[in-house]
Amino acid sequence: MKSLRSLTGLCASSALILAIACGGEETPEVTTPVEAPAPVPATPDTPTLSVADLQANAENVALVPSPVETQKALESAGIETQLSSLIPEHKFDMKSADIDHAALRTGVVLADTLLTIRNSEKDVLLARLEKIRVGMEQLNGGKDIDATLIDMRDRITAVAVSRDELLKEFDELSGAVIPELEFNGNKRIVPLIQAGSWLEGANLVAKAVTGLEEVSVADTLLKQPDVVTYFIGYVTGEGAEKAPEAVTMRLEQSLNTLKELAEKEGALNRDDVATVVKVTDEVLALL
Amino acid sequence: MTKRFSIILSGMLALGITTTAIAGTDEAESCLRTKVWDGYAEGWGIRTMTSTALAAGKTRNYLVTFYKGNEYQIEVCGDKDVGNVDVILYDTNGRVVERDSTDGREPKVSFKPPETGTYYIVLYMRDLTGDKDEAGVAMAVVYR
Repeated sequence: MKSLRSLTGLCASSALILAIACGGEETPEVTTPVEAPAPVPATPDTPTLSVADLQANAENVALVPSPVETQKALESAGIETQLSSLIPEHKFDMKSADIDHAALRTGVVLADTLLTIRNSEKDVLLARLEKIRVGMEQLNGGKDIDATLIDMRDRITAVAVSRDELLKEFDELSGAVIPELEFNGNKRIVPLIQAGSWLEGANLVAKAVTGLEEVSVADTLLKQPDVVTYFIGYVTGEGAEKAPEAVTMRLEQSLNTLKELAEKEGALNRDDVATVVKVTDEVLALL
Repeated sequence: MTKRFSIILSGMLALGITTTAIAGTDEAESCLRTKVWDGYAEGWGIRTMTSTALAAGKTRNYLVTFYKGNEYQIEVCGDKDVGNVDVILYDTNGRVVERDSTDGREPKVSFKPPETGTYYIVLYMRDLTGDKDEAGVAMAVVYR
């Protein structure tokens, strides 16, 4: 009886022992309960990233503003000048097919196309598109981008696409498609195309600011030291096919001057803005 | 690792540009492309679109320039294996200046920079739902 009472008490007090002892004749082997897996530590709300972590692992795919974005910043700063109205007639040497030269030139034409696509004459737009096609071919951009540009050309020719639609398509082409092309593994090409677009934008912005009574807005529009440093890294780096020395040297000198201005402690003054016009004009003239 | 965008421009050729497949990025890119194209109707233009794959607890950083006076959005789409991905904006001193506060796979951050300057966009994979080691995430920076 005592043992029965004990057993009953035990059964009432422990489910585990109930399972083992209440069942009957044979005492089953006692097994160690399976341990619950350790809870996965929750990720912290904010990752612990030092400035060094941020710098060391940052990708540059989103670093360079687009020309249209620059135009918007100009308008936000209260400047009514349309950058498209300041674009000169570039006399490009389309036969210069070395990689750096072609990439810079293509970047300039991309910027001009984006800035003018809404309002330019059909023939002018088609001529720019053809220059981009030639550039993409020289840069080994591939068949897909060529087919896309041909399709755009055909629809422009047939007036089968609105200019607003075209701006969207070209915006995406310039901002998302071309930067992701591989160009046969040549990592210099995308940054140099971006450099061409950015230099053209900086040149036009500086010219727009030059015409103002007050040039303090130049700080907002032209001080981008990280962008210039990014370009310098590629221009001074080793490349398989560099442009003629005159182009690379001038580009490097111009970018170094622009970097000094971008890092200037005080506000940019009228002379600084004139310097931006001068050094960017010098590079663009060599293309 | 960045994957080239398979882009299908509305009314255009399907470019079908593809390289090394990263699990899930196609789904994430498709989701993001829809958002970006819808955004055009509200005046947003695109700075960039890119995609990557991230493991739980891992981050991917992007350096970005923002103009004072413009308004920016960082749009993100994760694939079906993403439980929670966050987007956080840091300044160059490592301070968080903006972040999303959602639990999900389509976070978004809006930002009007007080000055023209450089920032870091950080994609942060908080949680995966599937049994895979990593999931696809696509990110776009748009402006107006």
